[in-house]
Order: sequence, then C-alpha cells, then structure tokens
Amino acid sequence: MTTPLIEVSGLRKQYKSSFRKPLITALDGIDFQVGEGELFGLLGPNGAGKTTTVKILLGLTHATAGHATVCGLPVRNPESRRRVGYLPEGHKIPNYLTARQALSIFGRMSGMDSATIAKRIPLLLDRVRMGQWADVRIKKFSKGMTQRLGLACAMIHAPQVLLLDEPTDGVDPVGRREIRDLLREEAQGGTTVLLNSHLLSEIELTCDRVAVLRNGKVAAFGSVEELTRQTASYKMVATVMDESLIATFRETGAGVERSNGHMVLAVKDVEHLNALVDRLRARGGMLSELTPVRSTLEDVFVDLIRADQVAGSSVGAHE
Amino acid sequence: MKVIAANIEDVMREAAARWTLIAYFLLSTLFIIIFASAINLDIVDGALAGAKLFGKEVDMRDSISIEKLVLGFETGFSVFLYFICTFLAIFATAHLVPRMQEKGTVDLYLARPVSRVRLLLSRYVAGLILAGSNVIYLMGSIWLIVAWKTGVMNPRFLLAGSIIFLVIAVLLAFAFLVGVVTSSTAVSIMTTYGIFFFGLMLATHERIAAAVSEEWQAWLIEGMYWVFPKSAELGQAVVAFVGGEQLPAQVLEALSPAPFISTAAFGAVCLILASWLFTKKEF
Repeated sequence: MTTPLIEVSGLRKQYKSSFRKPLITALDGIDFQVGEGELFGLLGPNGAGKTTTVKILLGLTHATAGHATVCGLPVRNPESRRRVGYLPEGHKIPNYLTARQALSIFGRMSGMDSATIAKRIPLLLDRVRMGQWADVRIKKFSKGMTQRLGLACAMIHAPQVLLLDEPTDGVDPVGRREIRDLLREEAQGGTTVLLNSHLLSEIELTCDRVAVLRNGKVAAFGSVEELTRQTASYKMVATVMDESLIATFRETGAGVERSNGHMVLAVKDVEHLNALVDRLRARGGMLSELTPVRSTLEDVFVDLIRADQVAGSSVGAHE
Repeated sequence: MKVIAANIEDVMREAAARWTLIAYFLLSTLFIIIFASAINLDIVDGALAGAKLFGKEVDMRDSISIEKLVLGFETGFSVFLYFICTFLAIFATAHLVPRMQEKGTVDLYLARPVSRVRLLLSRYVAGLILAGSNVIYLMGSIWLIVAWKTGVMNPRFLLAGSIIFLVIAVLLAFAFLVGVVTSSTAVSIMTTYGIFFFGLMLATHERIAAAVSEEWQAWLIEGMYWVFPKSAELGQAVVAFVGGEQLPAQVLEALSPAPFISTAAFGAVCLILASWLFTKKEF
C-alpha cells in the first residue's frame, strides 16, 4: 500500500441515546488504513458504524477511544479538513443558491481565494456534467443533479482525500458510470477516495479494497478480488441447452441451473467440467462462453450478515 | 476573513431568497412612509406656525420652538423604534443557527477547515450586519425625513441607534445559545422575546423583592435582575440619549454605565457558552 492518508486505530465510539439508557457501542475498536490514490469501500448493514467512522474522520463527532488521522493530522485539528472533501448522504446544499454561488461559498470556506475559485468552478461543473446549470438555483435541480453538485462541492478545493457517502444516490445509470469514471480519474491523480455505500455493485465496480463493518467491528477486510473468491461454478452458454442436455449433465453429478439464456454448472473439478463439455459436443452443441463464476460482494456481505444472525440466534437459544 | 465574507454572503442570499430581507425592509419602509405622511408642519420664516401629528392639531399656545418640538417628537418615537428594531431583528436572524444545524446541512459547513467557534461567530457577525443595516435604514430614514421637513438635525437621534444595536447584539447572542442547544427557530424566537419582556418586568425588581415573603425570593429577584438584560433601562437610555439635557434628571439617570455593562456581559456570556456548546456538540 502507498503512503496511508487515512489511518484509523482502535477507534471506539460509545454514546447514550438518552440519560437513563445504557451505553450504545457504535464502534468497537476498528483499525484500517487507506493509501494515497486508493479507492476504498466501507460496507455494512444499517447501524454497523460506517457513518460514525466517516463523521469521526471529519471531526463531526468525537471518538471515545483510539485515534484517527487524515493526511497525518489528527482529525480534531480543523487543518486536516483542508485536505478533505466530503459528500454527506442526503445533503442539503442551501437551495436558494445557484451552483456557482454554492461552489464559491464553500470554496471560500475552504480557504480558497476568489480568483482560483472563479477558474475552478466551470472546470469542475463540466466534469460533473453540470456546466450549463451553473447559474440556476439549486431548488430547480433533480436529485441526481443535486448529487453531482454535491460532488463538485466536495472537490472544489482539490482535496487529497474524498469521503463520499452514497455518491450515486438518485443518479441514473449513465450518471453513475460517469461518477465512477470521475472517481477513478481522481484516484489516478493521487486522490484517496473512501466510499460509503449500500450499493454493493457500485463498490465492487469502483473500489480496490473494502472493509465490511458489522456491529462496530471490521468483519472482513481486503481487496475486492480477495473477498469475491472464485467458486466451483461455471457459466456456460452453448448453442444447445435443452432439457435432455441438462439431464445428461445431471447424470454426472453436476448441479445445473438455467437462467437468462445460460447455465450455471456446479462441478467437482476441471476434469468434471471437461466431461460436461465433451457431452455437449457429442450432442452437436457448440460452446460460445464458459467462464468461472465468482461470488459477488453482495454474496460475501449477505453471508457475513447471515453468519452473524445465526450466531445471534444460537446464543439466544443457549440463553 | 474569507470565512466571514462567505458566511455574510450566505446569510444575505438566504434572507433575500426566503423573502426575509424583503419583508424586513418592506415593513421598515412602511413605518417610514406612515411616519413621513403623519408629520405636517407649517413653518413660516423659519418659525413653527402650526403642526399636525397623525392628523391631529398640535396645541401651539405655549409658542413651542421647532427644535423643542422635533426633540420631543424624536424622543417619543425612539421608544417605538427601540421595540420595532429589536423585534424585527430577532425575527429575521433567530433562524441562523437552527437552520445551519439541520441534518445534511451542518455536515457541509463543519467539513470545511474552519474551527466551529469561527464558524458560529461568522454567522453571528452576518446576523448583526443584517440587523444593523435595518437599524441604520429605519433610524437614518426617519432622521432624514425630520431634517427635510423641519431643517432640524439632531445627531443624537442617529447615535441612539447604537444603543438599540447593543440590545440586538445581546439578544442575538442569547438566540444563538438557544439555537445551538435546541436547533429550533421557534424556541429561539420565543425565548428571546421572553427574556426581553422579562427584562422589562424586572425593572420593578425593588418593588417585587419588597413584596415577596421569603428573603431568598428577594435575593433571587435581585440576582435575576443583575443577570438578565436590562431591556427597560436600555429603552430609557435610548430616550435619555435622544432627549439629552432637556429631559428631567431622573430620566437622564438611565444613562448610567451599570445597565450597559451588565447587559453586554450577559450577551458575552451567552456567546461564549454558545461557542463552547457548539464545539462540544456531536452531529
């Protein structure tokens, strides 16, 4: 990993929802580091501690124990935020402003001078495909447009670190791809991006590494490649995929499922797979696609959450 | 400076977009128009021959000089302006903190490299500029109308605006404190008006303290009197300042430093407390 720009160590956060209620542990000693130019995803079910982590990194809330630094500066130091751009979930950029005015105000609040802001605004609005909306009041914007503007506000002061909470929320598929491309460009330019999203496919398509939080702890950590491990299943597309072929495959002990014009084959090993291909060819079929099936990030996520629920219910049964 | 400028722009644009600024100045303009049309003076060769106020003939039997009439009128009207300016200012600015603390908005402000104290104080300054510009507009316009209609220029009337501004600054500090704690515009406005009226009632603290049965109650009344803003005394100070030496000595006593110092101290404590709580607050 390159120089870490975000370092979180033993981070713990406890709070009371009301005076008489017991302490709630939102974070229970989490550790992770995110390097320069890395696209990092933070996943977890609701209440897992994702937003609390991001809020601690921004100094919006304070950790009970442990420490966190951004660009080498403790998060309690306001200077650390000079290098951070933040897009909160469900943000409300004052809707009485135009896009240009909002960027100008937030730019100056980030310590930029007016001349630099004036030069940067059109470039940034073009990057988020909002160039022609610069002088329109935000209250006229759709949700997707507001989200793009939020991204521009987060990037106005050219931060080294971008903390993004559901950046593609409300954005159409084309826009989502554009945002993904934009984030990749930023990362290639050396910006560290921490993405907090429920859209697991987004994270899978965008991020290099992910941390899955569960009950305030890091339940899984690693590269997307490591987490979405290869399984013993293969996707097959062939010219013949009738019931008799499927029956022939099943005779060998293979698991066969048909879906959307392809078959998913569960085999014992490579020899078993080749035996199925031989059977296909013997029936005059032509193979047009054969690819190994990997588990998706969603599978990993669901497995982790289910494991937790099973553990929880077995503890409950013992009690 | 950039942060303060950005906050002032933000506050002014919000006030303009939400009609606050327009309503604020429209109401003030309405008072000015009513005032301008209410005074009808008949001046012959520099001397006052007759005068009508709100359509009523002013009794001129005592051959009152125009200077005295203007002074008397400005003195009386300054009380009215004291209440109008203060009420409009709180109504127009009490939302500044609660609206900033709204979920989804506060994150955008706090994620900037600005300390929370600086952010809060920048908004306070922005609020004071908004309120102060209205005080200048109201008092300045009325002063100009009087000067134009009578040729009498009483600079003390203009300067009395600074006492009104002090009261607004103190009440806004209290509104900010309530705003930080409750995040509610309605509560901020209600409690700020409440404390203003409470200050008026406490002007009779000696009589109230004498009437209570327990000694600790008398101490409490006296304590509250010295803690809370002296709305009544500062209102009297406005009158005394405008009227000057022409007023009786007991009215001029209102210009003693004690009410000013204790009221300013209340505002300063509110602002310090608001800043401290805002720094500690978790969002």
